[in-house]
Amino acid sequence: MESFKEILSPDFLLRNSVYTSVLVGFACPLVGVFLVLRRLVFMGVALPQISSTGVAVALSLPVWLGLTVNSAEEHAHTLAFIGSTVFTLVAILILALLVRRGRGSAEGRLGTAYVVATALSILLLSKNRVAEAGWLDLLKGEIITISNFDLGLTAISLAFVLVVLGLFNKELLLVSFDRAMAATLGKNVLAWDAVLYLLIGLTVSVAVLSVGPLIAFGFLLIPPLTAHLFARNMKWFVILASLIGGVSSLLGFWLAYQWDWPVGPSDVVLLGVVYALAFGVKKIFSLRQPKLNRGSFASR
Amino acid sequence: MNTSLITLENLAIGYDGQAVLSGISLTIARGSFTAILGANGTGKSTLLKTLLGLQPPVSGKIQIGADGVKPIFGYVPQAIQFDPLYPLTGFDVALMGAFGRVGAGCFPSRAEKDFVRECLHATTADEFAQKKFSQLSGGQKQRVLIARALATKPDLLVLDEPTAGVDVAATHSLLEFISQIHKERNLTVLLVTHDLPLVKKHAQQIVWLHNGTVLCGTVAELFTPENMSEIFEMEVG
Repeated sequence: MESFKEILSPDFLLRNSVYTSVLVGFACPLVGVFLVLRRLVFMGVALPQISSTGVAVALSLPVWLGLTVNSAEEHAHTLAFIGSTVFTLVAILILALLVRRGRGSAEGRLGTAYVVATALSILLLSKNRVAEAGWLDLLKGEIITISNFDLGLTAISLAFVLVVLGLFNKELLLVSFDRAMAATLGKNVLAWDAVLYLLIGLTVSVAVLSVGPLIAFGFLLIPPLTAHLFARNMKWFVILASLIGGVSSLLGFWLAYQWDWPVGPSDVVLLGVVYALAFGVKKIFSLRQPKLNRGSFASR
Repeated sequence: MNTSLITLENLAIGYDGQAVLSGISLTIARGSFTAILGANGTGKSTLLKTLLGLQPPVSGKIQIGADGVKPIFGYVPQAIQFDPLYPLTGFDVALMGAFGRVGAGCFPSRAEKDFVRECLHATTADEFAQKKFSQLSGGQKQRVLIARALATKPDLLVLDEPTAGVDVAATHSLLEFISQIHKERNLTVLLVTHDLPLVKKHAQQIVWLHNGTVLCGTVAELFTPENMSEIFEMEVG
Protein backbone atom coordinates (compact mmCIF):
# COMPACT_ATOMS: atom_id res chain seq x y z
CA MET A 1 0.00 0.00 0.00
CA GLU A 2 3.00 2.29 0.41
CA SER A 3 3.43 2.47 -3.35
CA PHE A 4 -0.28 3.31 -3.72
CA LYS A 5 0.10 6.23 -1.31
CA GLU A 6 3.23 7.24 -3.20
CA ILE A 7 1.51 7.56 -6.59
CA LEU A 8 -1.27 9.65 -5.00
CA SER A 9 1.25 12.06 -3.48
CA PRO A 10 1.41 15.56 -5.06
CA ASP A 11 5.19 15.19 -5.09
CA PHE A 12 5.12 11.97 -7.10
CA LEU A 13 7.39 12.35 -10.13
CA LEU A 14 4.88 10.78 -12.55
CA ARG A 15 1.84 12.53 -11.06
CA ASN A 16 0.84 14.04 -14.43
CA SER A 17 0.77 10.55 -15.91
CA VAL A 18 -1.47 9.35 -13.06
CA TYR A 19 -3.85 12.29 -13.51
CA THR A 20 -3.95 11.87 -17.30
CA SER A 21 -4.55 8.15 -17.06
CA VAL A 22 -7.39 8.64 -14.59
CA LEU A 23 -8.95 11.45 -16.66
CA VAL A 24 -8.93 9.26 -19.76
CA GLY A 25 -10.25 6.36 -17.68
CA PHE A 26 -13.22 8.41 -16.50
CA ALA A 27 -13.95 10.16 -19.82
CA CYS A 28 -13.59 7.45 -22.49
CA PRO A 29 -16.46 5.28 -21.14
CA LEU A 30 -18.79 8.30 -21.25
CA VAL A 31 -18.66 8.33 -25.05
CA GLY A 32 -17.97 4.58 -25.26
CA VAL A 33 -21.47 4.05 -23.87
CA PHE A 34 -22.91 5.51 -27.10
CA LEU A 35 -20.59 3.42 -29.29
CA VAL A 36 -21.78 0.27 -27.51
CA LEU A 37 -25.49 1.24 -27.57
CA ARG A 38 -25.35 2.21 -31.24
CA ARG A 39 -23.52 -1.07 -31.98
CA LEU A 40 -20.54 0.84 -33.37
CA VAL A 41 -17.87 -1.04 -31.44
CA PHE A 42 -15.84 -1.51 -34.64
CA MET A 43 -15.74 2.26 -34.93
CA GLY A 44 -14.15 2.28 -31.48
CA VAL A 45 -11.34 0.09 -32.87
CA ALA A 46 -10.84 2.02 -36.08
CA LEU A 47 -10.96 5.56 -34.70
CA PRO A 48 -8.03 5.35 -32.27
CA GLN A 49 -5.94 3.80 -35.02
CA ILE A 50 -6.90 6.55 -37.47
CA SER A 51 -6.13 9.07 -34.75
CA SER A 52 -2.64 7.61 -34.32
CA THR A 53 -2.19 7.84 -38.10
CA GLY A 54 -2.94 11.55 -37.68
CA VAL A 55 -0.19 11.67 -35.08
CA ALA A 56 2.16 9.86 -37.46
CA VAL A 57 1.41 12.32 -40.26
CA ALA A 58 1.86 15.26 -37.90
CA LEU A 59 5.19 13.94 -36.62
CA SER A 60 6.37 13.34 -40.19
CA LEU A 61 5.44 16.84 -41.33
CA PRO A 62 8.60 18.58 -40.02
CA VAL A 63 10.76 16.07 -41.93
CA TRP A 64 8.78 16.60 -45.12
CA LEU A 65 9.04 20.36 -44.65
CA GLY A 66 12.79 20.14 -43.99
CA LEU A 67 12.66 21.60 -40.46
CA THR A 68 15.46 20.93 -37.98
CA VAL A 69 15.01 18.24 -35.34
CA ASN A 70 15.11 20.72 -32.42
CA SER A 71 12.46 22.94 -33.98
CA ALA A 72 10.28 19.91 -34.71
CA GLU A 73 10.58 18.56 -31.17
CA GLU A 74 9.49 21.91 -29.69
CA HIS A 75 6.20 21.74 -31.54
CA ALA A 76 5.80 17.98 -31.62
CA HIS A 77 2.96 17.79 -29.14
CA THR A 78 0.97 20.61 -30.71
CA LEU A 79 1.45 19.06 -34.15
CA ALA A 80 0.43 15.65 -32.85
CA PHE A 81 -2.69 17.09 -31.19
CA ILE A 82 -3.74 18.83 -34.40
CA GLY A 83 -3.01 15.74 -36.51
CA SER A 84 -4.85 13.44 -34.14
CA THR A 85 -7.91 15.70 -33.84
CA VAL A 86 -8.22 16.51 -37.55
CA PHE A 87 -7.85 12.89 -38.68
CA THR A 88 -10.27 11.61 -36.03
CA LEU A 89 -12.98 14.18 -36.66
CA VAL A 90 -12.85 13.84 -40.44
CA ALA A 91 -12.79 10.04 -40.21
CA ILE A 92 -15.67 9.79 -37.74
CA LEU A 93 -17.89 12.04 -39.84
CA ILE A 94 -17.17 10.04 -43.01
CA LEU A 95 -17.58 6.67 -41.26
CA ALA A 96 -20.79 7.82 -39.55
CA LEU A 97 -22.21 8.96 -42.88
CA LEU A 98 -21.39 5.59 -44.45
CA VAL A 99 -22.85 3.68 -41.50
CA ARG A 100 -26.01 5.81 -41.66
CA ARG A 101 -26.50 5.18 -45.38
CA GLY A 102 -26.50 1.51 -44.48
CA ARG A 103 -25.46 0.13 -47.85
CA GLY A 104 -22.82 -2.55 -48.13
CA SER A 105 -20.88 -3.84 -45.17
CA ALA A 106 -20.29 -1.23 -42.47
CA GLU A 107 -18.01 -3.67 -40.62
CA GLY A 108 -16.02 -4.18 -43.80
CA ARG A 109 -15.48 -0.46 -44.25
CA LEU A 110 -14.47 0.04 -40.63
CA GLY A 111 -12.12 -2.96 -40.83
CA THR A 112 -10.57 -1.55 -43.99
CA ALA A 113 -10.16 1.87 -42.37
CA TYR A 114 -8.45 0.21 -39.38
CA VAL A 115 -5.97 -1.87 -41.34
CA VAL A 116 -5.13 0.86 -43.87
CA ALA A 117 -4.61 3.39 -41.05
CA THR A 118 -2.26 0.99 -39.25
CA ALA A 119 -0.26 0.25 -42.40
CA LEU A 120 -0.07 3.93 -43.34
CA SER A 121 1.27 4.84 -39.89
CA ILE A 122 4.02 2.24 -40.18
CA LEU A 123 4.90 3.36 -43.72
CA LEU A 124 5.05 7.02 -42.72
CA LEU A 125 7.20 6.48 -39.69
CA SER A 126 9.55 3.91 -41.21
CA LYS A 127 11.26 6.84 -42.96
CA ASN A 128 11.29 9.06 -39.87
CA ARG A 129 13.46 7.71 -37.06
CA VAL A 130 12.84 10.59 -34.64
CA ALA A 131 9.10 10.38 -34.99
CA GLU A 132 9.19 6.58 -34.89
CA ALA A 133 10.55 6.50 -31.35
CA GLY A 134 7.76 8.74 -30.02
CA TRP A 135 5.09 6.90 -31.94
CA LEU A 136 6.17 3.50 -30.65
CA ASP A 137 5.94 4.80 -27.08
CA LEU A 138 2.45 5.98 -27.89
CA LEU A 139 1.50 2.63 -29.42
CA LYS A 140 2.69 0.75 -26.34
CA GLY A 141 0.81 3.09 -24.00
CA GLU A 142 3.89 4.42 -22.22
CA ILE A 143 2.20 7.18 -20.22
CA ILE A 144 5.33 8.52 -18.57
CA THR A 145 6.18 11.87 -20.11
CA ILE A 146 3.13 14.05 -19.65
CA SER A 147 3.92 17.76 -19.36
CA ASN A 148 1.75 20.23 -17.44
CA PHE A 149 0.62 21.60 -20.81
CA ASP A 150 -0.41 18.12 -22.01
CA LEU A 151 -2.26 17.48 -18.77
CA GLY A 152 -4.05 20.82 -19.00
CA LEU A 153 -5.02 20.21 -22.62
CA THR A 154 -6.36 16.75 -21.75
CA ALA A 155 -8.28 18.08 -18.73
CA ILE A 156 -9.85 20.97 -20.65
CA SER A 157 -10.80 18.81 -23.64
CA LEU A 158 -12.34 16.08 -21.51
CA ALA A 159 -14.12 18.59 -19.27
CA PHE A 160 -15.64 20.11 -22.42
CA VAL A 161 -16.83 16.65 -23.51
CA LEU A 162 -18.29 15.99 -20.05
CA VAL A 163 -20.18 19.30 -19.95
CA VAL A 164 -21.62 18.92 -23.47
CA LEU A 165 -22.60 15.30 -22.80
CA GLY A 166 -24.25 16.31 -19.53
CA LEU A 167 -26.14 19.25 -21.02
CA PHE A 168 -27.38 17.51 -24.16
CA ASN A 169 -27.71 13.98 -22.85
CA LYS A 170 -31.45 13.80 -23.49
CA GLU A 171 -31.10 14.88 -27.13
CA LEU A 172 -28.20 12.49 -27.77
CA LEU A 173 -30.08 9.63 -26.12
CA LEU A 174 -33.28 10.35 -28.03
CA VAL A 175 -31.64 10.42 -31.49
CA SER A 176 -29.73 7.24 -30.61
CA PHE A 177 -32.75 5.32 -29.28
CA ASP A 178 -35.54 6.50 -31.59
CA ARG A 179 -34.61 8.65 -34.58
CA ALA A 180 -38.17 8.76 -35.92
CA MET A 181 -39.54 10.05 -32.61
CA ALA A 182 -36.78 12.65 -32.44
CA ALA A 183 -37.66 13.86 -35.95
CA THR A 184 -41.39 14.09 -35.17
CA LEU A 185 -40.53 16.19 -32.09
CA GLY A 186 -38.70 18.62 -34.36
CA LYS A 187 -35.17 17.65 -33.31
CA ASN A 188 -32.47 18.03 -35.95
CA VAL A 189 -31.32 14.42 -35.98
CA LEU A 190 -28.32 14.99 -38.26
CA ALA A 191 -27.07 17.92 -36.19
CA TRP A 192 -27.30 15.94 -32.93
CA ASP A 193 -25.59 12.98 -34.58
CA ALA A 194 -22.81 15.34 -35.60
CA VAL A 195 -22.50 16.67 -32.02
CA LEU A 196 -22.19 13.13 -30.67
CA TYR A 197 -19.63 12.11 -33.27
CA LEU A 198 -17.58 15.25 -32.66
CA LEU A 199 -17.54 14.49 -28.92
CA ILE A 200 -16.48 10.91 -29.62
CA GLY A 201 -13.82 12.17 -32.04
CA LEU A 202 -12.44 14.73 -29.59
CA THR A 203 -12.32 12.20 -26.74
CA VAL A 204 -10.61 9.60 -28.92
CA SER A 205 -8.01 12.03 -30.26
CA VAL A 206 -7.14 13.32 -26.77
CA ALA A 207 -7.06 9.79 -25.36
CA VAL A 208 -4.84 8.48 -28.17
CA LEU A 209 -2.46 11.35 -27.72
CA SER A 210 -2.27 10.67 -23.98
CA VAL A 211 -2.40 6.88 -23.73
CA GLY A 212 -2.24 5.44 -27.28
CA PRO A 213 -4.77 3.66 -29.51
CA LEU A 214 -4.87 0.28 -27.73
CA ILE A 215 -5.59 1.74 -24.32
CA ALA A 216 -8.03 4.28 -25.73
CA PHE A 217 -10.04 1.48 -27.33
CA GLY A 218 -9.88 -0.53 -24.11
CA PHE A 219 -11.38 2.35 -22.11
CA LEU A 220 -13.99 3.08 -24.79
CA LEU A 221 -15.26 -0.49 -24.86
CA ILE A 222 -14.67 -2.54 -21.72
CA PRO A 223 -16.08 -0.28 -18.97
CA PRO A 224 -19.42 0.21 -20.78
CA LEU A 225 -19.69 -3.54 -21.42
CA THR A 226 -18.96 -4.28 -17.75
CA ALA A 227 -21.39 -1.62 -16.51
CA HIS A 228 -24.10 -2.88 -18.88
CA LEU A 229 -24.20 -6.18 -17.00
CA PHE A 230 -25.58 -4.43 -13.92
CA ALA A 231 -27.13 -1.19 -15.16
CA ARG A 232 -30.83 -0.79 -14.37
CA ASN A 233 -31.18 2.55 -16.13
CA MET A 234 -29.20 4.89 -18.36
CA LYS A 235 -28.04 7.16 -15.55
CA TRP A 236 -26.42 4.34 -13.62
CA PHE A 237 -25.08 2.77 -16.81
CA VAL A 238 -23.12 5.94 -17.61
CA ILE A 239 -21.99 6.58 -14.01
CA LEU A 240 -20.94 2.97 -13.44
CA ALA A 241 -19.05 2.77 -16.76
CA SER A 242 -17.16 5.97 -15.96
CA LEU A 243 -16.36 4.81 -12.41
CA ILE A 244 -15.10 1.44 -13.64
CA GLY A 245 -12.86 3.22 -16.18
CA GLY A 246 -11.52 5.77 -13.71
CA VAL A 247 -10.88 3.38 -10.82
CA SER A 248 -9.35 0.73 -13.12
CA SER A 249 -6.98 3.30 -14.60
CA LEU A 250 -5.78 4.27 -11.12
CA LEU A 251 -5.39 0.67 -9.98
CA GLY A 252 -3.75 -0.22 -13.31
CA PHE A 253 -1.21 2.56 -12.84
CA TRP A 254 -0.49 1.36 -9.32
CA LEU A 255 0.01 -2.25 -10.47
CA ALA A 256 2.28 -1.08 -13.29
CA TYR A 257 4.33 1.05 -10.88
CA GLN A 258 4.48 -1.73 -8.29
CA TRP A 259 5.58 -4.46 -10.72
CA ASP A 260 7.40 -2.28 -13.28
CA TRP A 261 4.96 -3.06 -16.11
CA PRO A 262 3.98 -0.71 -18.95
CA VAL A 263 1.00 1.35 -17.73
CA GLY A 264 -1.34 1.15 -20.73
CA PRO A 265 -1.35 -2.63 -21.17
CA SER A 266 -1.68 -3.04 -17.38
CA ASP A 267 -4.83 -0.89 -17.48
CA VAL A 268 -6.40 -2.87 -20.32
CA VAL A 269 -5.59 -6.28 -18.82
CA LEU A 270 -7.07 -5.12 -15.51
CA LEU A 271 -10.21 -3.96 -17.33
CA GLY A 272 -10.42 -7.39 -18.98
CA VAL A 273 -10.11 -9.12 -15.61
CA VAL A 274 -12.79 -6.86 -14.10
CA TYR A 275 -15.11 -7.63 -17.04
CA ALA A 276 -14.53 -11.39 -16.72
CA LEU A 277 -15.21 -11.27 -12.96
CA ALA A 278 -18.32 -9.14 -13.44
CA PHE A 279 -19.57 -11.51 -16.12
CA GLY A 280 -19.02 -14.47 -13.78
CA VAL A 281 -20.83 -12.75 -10.89
CA LYS A 282 -23.71 -11.87 -13.21
CA LYS A 283 -23.96 -15.47 -14.42
CA ILE A 284 -24.03 -16.79 -10.87
CA PHE A 285 -26.85 -14.38 -9.97
CA SER A 286 -28.68 -15.30 -13.20
CA LEU A 287 -28.49 -19.01 -12.33
CA ARG A 288 -29.87 -18.31 -8.86
CA GLN A 289 -32.71 -16.19 -10.22
CA PRO A 290 -33.36 -17.45 -13.75
CA LYS A 291 -35.05 -14.82 -15.88
CA LEU A 292 -35.02 -13.62 -19.46
CA ASN A 293 -32.36 -10.99 -20.03
CA ARG A 294 -33.01 -9.85 -23.55
CA GLY A 295 -31.06 -6.65 -23.10
CA SER A 296 -27.68 -8.19 -22.39
CA PHE A 297 -25.00 -7.39 -24.94
CA ALA A 298 -22.78 -10.16 -23.61
CA SER A 299 -25.47 -12.81 -23.94
CA ARG A 300 -26.05 -12.09 -27.62
CA MET B 1 -68.12 20.29 -38.98
CA ASN B 2 -64.51 19.21 -38.41
CA THR B 3 -61.69 21.20 -39.96
CA SER B 4 -59.02 19.33 -41.88
CA LEU B 5 -55.79 18.50 -40.08
CA ILE B 6 -53.97 16.86 -43.00
CA THR B 7 -54.74 17.22 -46.71
CA LEU B 8 -52.98 15.21 -49.39
CA GLU B 9 -53.32 16.27 -53.02
CA ASN B 10 -52.29 13.89 -55.78
CA LEU B 11 -49.42 12.65 -53.63
CA ALA B 12 -46.86 10.11 -54.84
CA ILE B 13 -44.75 8.36 -52.21
CA GLY B 14 -41.68 6.15 -52.51
CA TYR B 15 -37.92 6.02 -52.16
CA ASP B 16 -35.09 7.58 -54.17
CA GLY B 17 -37.55 9.29 -56.50
CA GLN B 18 -39.27 6.00 -57.38
CA ALA B 19 -42.99 6.05 -56.53
CA VAL B 20 -44.44 2.96 -54.86
CA LEU B 21 -47.87 4.54 -54.60
CA SER B 22 -49.29 7.56 -56.43
CA GLY B 23 -52.48 9.57 -56.88
CA ILE B 24 -53.19 9.78 -53.14
CA SER B 25 -55.74 12.50 -52.37
CA LEU B 26 -57.44 12.52 -49.01
CA THR B 27 -58.29 14.63 -46.00
CA ILE B 28 -57.89 13.70 -42.36
CA ALA B 29 -60.31 15.72 -40.29
CA ARG B 30 -59.59 17.02 -36.81
CA GLY B 31 -61.03 14.66 -34.21
CA SER B 32 -61.47 11.77 -36.66
CA PHE B 33 -60.37 8.14 -36.27
CA THR B 34 -58.75 7.05 -39.54
CA ALA B 35 -57.33 3.63 -40.29
CA ILE B 36 -54.80 2.90 -43.04
CA LEU B 37 -55.32 -0.66 -44.22
CA GLY B 38 -53.39 -2.82 -46.60
CA ALA B 39 -51.34 -5.97 -46.99
CA ASN B 40 -47.59 -6.05 -46.38
CA GLY B 41 -45.65 -4.11 -49.02
CA THR B 42 -48.56 -1.95 -50.17
CA GLY B 43 -46.95 1.25 -48.89
CA LYS B 44 -48.63 1.73 -45.48
CA SER B 45 -45.40 2.46 -43.63
CA THR B 46 -44.08 4.65 -46.47
CA LEU B 47 -47.29 6.70 -46.38
CA LEU B 48 -46.99 7.05 -42.62
CA LYS B 49 -43.33 8.11 -42.81
CA THR B 50 -44.22 10.67 -45.46
CA LEU B 51 -47.02 12.11 -43.31
CA LEU B 52 -44.68 12.33 -40.32
CA GLY B 53 -42.08 14.15 -42.42
CA LEU B 54 -39.55 11.32 -42.10
CA GLN B 55 -39.61 10.64 -45.84
CA PRO B 56 -39.97 13.28 -48.59
CA PRO B 57 -42.81 12.75 -51.06
CA VAL B 58 -41.91 11.89 -54.67
CA SER B 59 -44.46 14.43 -55.91
CA GLY B 60 -47.73 16.09 -54.95
CA LYS B 61 -48.70 18.28 -52.04
CA ILE B 62 -49.08 17.68 -48.31
CA GLN B 63 -50.76 20.31 -46.19
CA ILE B 64 -50.37 19.67 -42.49
CA GLY B 65 -52.18 21.86 -39.98
CA ALA B 66 -53.89 25.17 -40.59
CA ASP B 67 -52.70 28.78 -40.57
CA GLY B 68 -49.08 27.69 -40.70
CA VAL B 69 -49.30 26.00 -37.29
CA LYS B 70 -47.88 22.50 -37.51
CA PRO B 71 -49.73 19.96 -35.36
CA ILE B 72 -47.88 17.88 -32.80
CA PHE B 73 -47.62 14.21 -33.71
CA GLY B 74 -47.84 11.63 -30.97
CA TYR B 75 -46.05 8.81 -32.77
CA VAL B 76 -46.41 5.21 -31.58
CA PRO B 77 -44.02 2.98 -33.55
CA GLN B 78 -43.91 -0.80 -33.45
CA ALA B 79 -42.41 -1.87 -30.13
CA ILE B 80 -40.37 -4.60 -31.79
CA GLN B 81 -38.09 -2.07 -33.54
CA PHE B 82 -36.34 -0.92 -30.37
CA ASP B 83 -32.88 -2.21 -29.54
CA PRO B 84 -33.07 -4.10 -26.22
CA LEU B 85 -29.52 -3.03 -25.45
CA TYR B 86 -30.64 0.34 -24.06
CA PRO B 87 -31.04 0.11 -20.26
CA LEU B 88 -34.07 2.38 -20.21
CA THR B 89 -37.02 1.99 -17.87
CA GLY B 90 -40.59 2.39 -19.07
CA PHE B 91 -40.60 5.82 -17.40
CA ASP B 92 -37.40 6.84 -19.22
CA VAL B 93 -39.01 5.94 -22.56
CA ALA B 94 -42.28 7.73 -21.73
CA LEU B 95 -40.36 10.82 -20.57
CA MET B 96 -39.00 11.22 -24.12
CA GLY B 97 -42.48 12.41 -25.06
CA ALA B 98 -41.85 15.59 -23.08
CA PHE B 99 -38.50 16.31 -24.79
CA GLY B 100 -40.21 18.33 -27.54
CA ARG B 101 -41.20 20.98 -24.97
CA VAL B 102 -37.91 20.97 -23.08
CA GLY B 103 -35.25 23.05 -24.78
CA ALA B 104 -31.78 21.75 -25.65
CA GLY B 105 -29.52 21.89 -22.63
CA CYS B 106 -32.46 22.00 -20.21
CA PHE B 107 -33.78 19.22 -18.01
CA PRO B 108 -37.42 18.11 -17.71
CA SER B 109 -39.09 19.90 -14.80
CA ARG B 110 -40.91 18.17 -11.94
CA ALA B 111 -44.20 19.25 -13.55
CA GLU B 112 -43.22 17.55 -16.83
CA LYS B 113 -42.27 14.39 -14.97
CA ASP B 114 -45.57 14.44 -13.09
CA PHE B 115 -47.42 14.84 -16.37
CA VAL B 116 -45.57 11.82 -17.83
CA ARG B 117 -46.58 9.82 -14.73
CA GLU B 118 -50.19 10.84 -15.41
CA CYS B 119 -49.87 9.60 -18.98
CA LEU B 120 -48.45 6.30 -17.74
CA HIS B 121 -51.33 6.07 -15.29
CA ALA B 122 -53.84 6.79 -18.07
CA THR B 123 -52.50 3.89 -20.11
CA THR B 124 -52.31 1.69 -16.96
CA ALA B 125 -48.55 1.44 -17.53
CA ASP B 126 -47.56 3.00 -14.20
CA GLU B 127 -47.24 -0.33 -12.40
CA PHE B 128 -44.39 -1.51 -14.66
CA ALA B 129 -42.92 1.93 -15.49
CA GLN B 130 -39.83 1.34 -13.34
CA LYS B 131 -39.02 -1.98 -15.03
CA LYS B 132 -36.62 -2.16 -17.96
CA PHE B 133 -38.45 -1.39 -21.21
CA SER B 134 -36.68 -4.28 -22.97
CA GLN B 135 -38.07 -6.76 -20.44
CA LEU B 136 -41.72 -5.75 -20.82
CA SER B 137 -44.23 -7.81 -22.82
CA GLY B 138 -45.43 -6.60 -26.23
CA GLY B 139 -48.67 -5.20 -24.80
CA GLN B 140 -46.88 -3.50 -21.91
CA LYS B 141 -44.39 -1.87 -24.30
CA GLN B 142 -47.24 -0.57 -26.45
CA ARG B 143 -48.88 0.99 -23.38
CA VAL B 144 -45.62 2.74 -22.50
CA LEU B 145 -45.25 3.95 -26.09
CA ILE B 146 -48.84 5.25 -26.13
CA ALA B 147 -48.12 7.02 -22.82
CA ARG B 148 -45.02 8.53 -24.47
CA ALA B 149 -47.14 9.70 -27.41
CA LEU B 150 -49.72 11.23 -25.02
CA ALA B 151 -46.87 12.95 -23.16
CA THR B 152 -46.16 14.96 -26.34
CA LYS B 153 -49.62 16.57 -25.83
CA PRO B 154 -50.44 15.59 -29.40
CA ASP B 155 -52.91 16.98 -31.89
CA LEU B 156 -52.69 13.70 -33.80
CA LEU B 157 -51.99 10.24 -32.41
CA VAL B 158 -50.23 8.14 -35.08
CA LEU B 159 -50.01 4.41 -34.41
CA ASP B 160 -47.97 2.11 -36.67
CA GLU B 161 -49.37 -1.42 -36.28
CA PRO B 162 -49.58 -1.11 -32.49
CA THR B 163 -50.96 -4.63 -32.14
CA ALA B 164 -48.08 -6.37 -33.98
CA GLY B 165 -46.68 -9.04 -31.67
CA VAL B 166 -49.40 -8.41 -29.09
CA ASP B 167 -51.76 -11.20 -27.97
CA VAL B 168 -55.49 -11.09 -28.72
CA ALA B 169 -56.61 -9.97 -25.27
CA ALA B 170 -54.03 -7.18 -25.11
CA THR B 171 -54.93 -6.11 -28.67
CA HIS B 172 -58.59 -5.77 -27.75
CA SER B 173 -57.70 -3.86 -24.59
CA LEU B 174 -55.29 -1.51 -26.42
CA LEU B 175 -57.78 -0.61 -29.14
CA GLU B 176 -60.55 -0.06 -26.61
CA PHE B 177 -58.24 2.32 -24.77
CA ILE B 178 -57.26 4.20 -27.95
CA SER B 179 -60.92 4.47 -28.91
CA GLN B 180 -61.76 5.75 -25.43
CA ILE B 181 -59.13 8.53 -25.44
CA HIS B 182 -60.16 9.42 -29.00
CA LYS B 183 -63.71 10.05 -27.75
CA GLU B 184 -62.82 11.62 -24.39
CA ARG B 185 -60.18 14.03 -25.68
CA ASN B 186 -61.54 14.47 -29.22
CA LEU B 187 -58.06 13.32 -30.26
CA THR B 188 -57.39 12.73 -33.95
CA VAL B 189 -56.19 9.15 -34.44
CA LEU B 190 -54.39 7.69 -37.44
CA LEU B 191 -53.97 3.93 -37.13
CA VAL B 192 -51.98 1.73 -39.49
CA THR B 193 -53.04 -1.89 -39.29
CA HIS B 194 -54.12 -4.93 -41.26
CA ASP B 195 -56.60 -6.06 -38.64
CA LEU B 196 -60.02 -5.76 -40.35
CA PRO B 197 -62.27 -6.57 -37.36
CA LEU B 198 -60.58 -3.87 -35.24
CA VAL B 199 -60.93 -1.33 -38.02
CA LYS B 200 -64.61 -2.14 -38.52
CA LYS B 201 -65.25 -1.64 -34.83
CA HIS B 202 -63.30 1.55 -34.15
CA ALA B 203 -62.46 3.55 -37.30
CA GLN B 204 -64.65 6.22 -38.89
CA GLN B 205 -62.61 6.65 -42.05
CA ILE B 206 -60.64 4.01 -43.96
CA VAL B 207 -57.71 4.48 -46.31
CA TRP B 208 -57.27 1.14 -48.04
CA LEU B 209 -54.10 0.53 -50.06
CA HIS B 210 -54.50 -2.24 -52.60
CA ASN B 211 -52.64 -3.08 -55.81
CA GLY B 212 -51.18 0.42 -56.15
CA THR B 213 -54.55 2.11 -55.68
CA VAL B 214 -55.93 4.02 -52.73
CA LEU B 215 -59.54 3.61 -51.66
CA CYS B 216 -60.94 6.14 -49.20
CA GLY B 217 -64.29 6.11 -47.44
CA THR B 218 -66.23 5.08 -44.39
CA VAL B 219 -66.52 1.50 -43.13
CA ALA B 220 -69.96 1.21 -44.71
CA GLU B 221 -68.71 2.53 -48.04
CA LEU B 222 -65.62 0.36 -48.31
CA PHE B 223 -66.51 -2.89 -46.58
CA THR B 224 -68.90 -3.94 -49.33
CA PRO B 225 -69.04 -7.54 -50.60
CA GLU B 226 -67.73 -6.33 -54.00
CA ASN B 227 -64.66 -4.64 -52.51
CA MET B 228 -63.96 -7.52 -50.15
CA SER B 229 -64.25 -9.97 -53.00
CA GLU B 230 -61.85 -7.98 -55.18
CA ILE B 231 -59.32 -7.30 -52.46
CA PHE B 232 -59.22 -10.82 -51.08
CA GLU B 233 -59.79 -12.43 -54.50
CA MET B 234 -62.59 -14.56 -53.14
CA GLU B 235 -66.32 -14.77 -53.16
CA VAL B 236 -68.04 -13.17 -50.23
CA GLY B 237 -71.45 -14.59 -49.44
